[in-house]
Amino acid sequence: MPSWLEIIIRSLSFIVVVIFLTRMLGRKMAARMTYFDLIYGIVIGMIAAAISIKLVDVLSGVIALLTWSLVGIGLSYLSLKSKGVRDLIHGREAVVIKHGKIMEDQLKKMRFSPEDLLQQLRHKQIFNLADVEFAVMESNGEINALLKSNRQPITPKLLGIQTAVETGAQTVILDGNIIDEPLTTMGLNRGWLRTELEKIGVSPENIFLAQVDAMGELYIDLFDDSIQVPKPTAKQLLLNTLKQAKADLDAYSLDTDHPRAKQMYEQCARELSSVIYDVKHLLK
Amino acid sequence: MTTYSRVKQTLVSLKGAQANLERYSLIAQDEAAKKTFQRSAEKLQLITDRLQKRIQNMEWEEPQYKGF
Repeated sequence: MPSWLEIIIRSLSFIVVVIFLTRMLGRKMAARMTYFDLIYGIVIGMIAAAISIKLVDVLSGVIALLTWSLVGIGLSYLSLKSKGVRDLIHGREAVVIKHGKIMEDQLKKMRFSPEDLLQQLRHKQIFNLADVEFAVMESNGEINALLKSNRQPITPKLLGIQTAVETGAQTVILDGNIIDEPLTTMGLNRGWLRTELEKIGVSPENIFLAQVDAMGELYIDLFDDSIQVPKPTAKQLLLNTLKQAKADLDAYSLDTDHPRAKQMYEQCARELSSVIYDVKHLLK
Repeated sequence: MTTYSRVKQTLVSLKGAQANLERYSLIAQDEAAKKTFQRSAEKLQLITDRLQKRIQNMEWEEPQYKGF
């Protein structure tokens, strides 16, 4: 057998072996690459490469590869089971900024220069160290920072605004095909969908994508983008109806001369405005 | 447009709004939202009941409007 053919065969077979090995070692590696994971990957790759270019003979190469990968699988299993092993292999996270002050000792221990710290913070859109209250270096070297409370982005909670719960929208039509499973999880069926589509005036075959949100409202995207689809306005309309009725009731209470009727209208208007306050955030 | 017919119109639109709220209370996936819609629909029911009574009184006082 010519040596070039042997190299090709070796390479091809070890590509297959490496595919299986990486699948067995788990998905964690790519998601959260610690220093150990990185070195492990490189070693396995190097052994495979050494075998395929005939630096070592197949048998010893396979033994080395098997040992490394079996130990790797064993270690990842152990580190799932025990915190001690996890800390030993991957290291633990370190607090590098506490109460707005940099912990120089920790940085030194991690071999992290101040420039590296600043660069990592800038990567997170933090250019001013004074804005950081607390920062942690994760075991993979990434730095995550908590901003001071007056520098944090505004959330509805900070402003005291009530918001409707957004349970993710369900995709009910894809590429013109109705998908039944998400429909049933929303407690709806094809009949409902057909009625809604008839209201808008499109047939399911012309729809590229349709989603139903938690409030049962339908958003659709057509194949033909030049056709304008009416936007769902039912919620807005309901809110407007309530507001209009409230204004009307206020007007009647001013118009009428009948004292009891006046009182009744005022009470109704008050109750209606409390209803509007309650449902406003749900109807936006 | 007389006050009588305007009140009647408000009553009708409130009844429509109430039906919508009840519909949302059935559709809504979130428990809290469901309850809010239910409670609001009940409140609207009270309001429409009162308006209904007022309309009856108006018909009694001014029978010439009845039916408009």
